[in-house]
Amino acid sequence: MKPITPLVAAALVALAAAAGAKDLALPPDTVQLTPSPLPGYAKAQANCTMCHSAEYMLYQPPSAARPYWDAMVHRMKTVFKAPIADEDMPEIVDYLAATYGKQQMK
Amino acid sequence: MPDTPSNRLRRRLVVAGGAGIASAGLGAFSRAAYAQRTSIELPVANGQRHLVAFPEKRPLIVLTTRPPQLETPFEVFNDGLITPNDAFFVRYHNNGLPASIDGDRHVIKIGGNAAGKPFVLTMADLRTQYKPVEVVAVNQCSGNSRALFNPRVTGGQLTNGAMGNARWVGVPLKDILARAEIKDSAKQVTFDGLDTALMGGGDFVKALDIGQAMNGEVMIAYQMNGADLPMLNGYPVRLIVPGYYGTYWVKHLSEIQVIDQVYDGFWMKPAYRIPDNACNCVEPGTAPAATRPIGRFNVRSFITSVTDGARVPAGSPLAVRGIAFDGGQGIREVAWSADGGQSWREAALGQELGRFSFREFTFGFTPQAGAYDLRVRAFNRSGESQPMQALWNPSGYMRNVVESVKIQAS
Repeated sequence: MKPITPLVAAALVALAAAAGAKDLALPPDTVQLTPSPLPGYAKAQANCTMCHSAEYMLYQPPSAARPYWDAMVHRMKTVFKAPIADEDMPEIVDYLAATYGKQQMK
Repeated sequence: MPDTPSNRLRRRLVVAGGAGIASAGLGAFSRAAYAQRTSIELPVANGQRHLVAFPEKRPLIVLTTRPPQLETPFEVFNDGLITPNDAFFVRYHNNGLPASIDGDRHVIKIGGNAAGKPFVLTMADLRTQYKPVEVVAVNQCSGNSRALFNPRVTGGQLTNGAMGNARWVGVPLKDILARAEIKDSAKQVTFDGLDTALMGGGDFVKALDIGQAMNGEVMIAYQMNGADLPMLNGYPVRLIVPGYYGTYWVKHLSEIQVIDQVYDGFWMKPAYRIPDNACNCVEPGTAPAATRPIGRFNVRSFITSVTDGARVPAGSPLAVRGIAFDGGQGIREVAWSADGGQSWREAALGQELGRFSFREFTFGFTPQAGAYDLRVRAFNRSGESQPMQALWNPSGYMRNVVESVKIQAS
């Protein structure tokens, strides 16, 4: 780490005056939740992707087993305060494990 | 020739060693595909990814859209030692991103129960009332290369592009905290940014021990590679913790608290923890007995000028280059092998931009027809190096195995 000369510092201050506001407009999600006949599909649409995009599920390794999906759904509720009804959690986990995890029906 | 990334890469490769090497450098990709592709197949199971241009960014590998997590395509690391702002990786944890930030009106609140004199730091004060410093430093995600773990682990499935090297300008944190009149009771300093957790739980807050916060290396940066920080890299100010994993480099920095205890919010515990042993590793599939917060980078090195699976002309000299870095000792030596690690020679090191920076290495040889397994292994000034066999931990952090680049000469 090296100090900056007064000349450079003055230039930085001049640059600073031009900083101003930056806006952020993000592109749409690249993927959606994978459709499924399982009842957890609609519940995942209602509870998961309102907060984050579906790449979080889609890109997990094929070896991701049910305990992982169960732990993630519980973490979303206990840590991040996602408003998931307790009675909906098993069906959401069923859908995630069957669609994105080791229980994939392929 | 238009100034596109692929043309810059092509020019560099042509300058580096002739047209034969230029074709080798792009490996499996044809040049046209490289320039126009909208998706990429990472070399792992379930590795199909989209390439999308986010604000102020060129098309990058989309790990997630909401919140944005973007990986730098690996070819970028062959363009030069400094990673351009528009190619620099992005990692957020929560989706409450600010829609707009006024870089002139932004302030950082400084307080906490171990700060004798809380105050509000304005951007104008930050830029004019303190002596700026400059450092070239690598930022690397804790989970960089996680997708390459074997057996696989869950989490963000990144290959090797969640890292970047930039020239940061800002103010040492110790100079700012000195104004807050820190009490003897101070144990840690916490850092929070403008990004928020949508449902109110799990706000992204990180902590450093007070000794590290005051070591003179940690800084608050307001400039990246000679420009304002891109919004997605923390505009207008982020914390820079040279040599430490990116998890501590809090973006849109807005609140600093000096506290008299150890902070144990979710992102310090249980998240971002590594096995508390000498190798920071455990037997695959097992859990560590004890953990500690992730800290300094280990030593890494990558060949950037040829990719795995490349075909090169037999009988022509092959110039190879790449990058090495560590947690701040600086790189002392890079050894290279063309036979999978059976025999080693010393690569030439390029100019040193600082001990926290990428360091260039180069070597060359003339391959005869046949298969070669290229490996590079860096050593830092403490003699620390990279393992020949990958180490494993359940969170997929800190991968630094000696990588293998298999090429075919014909």
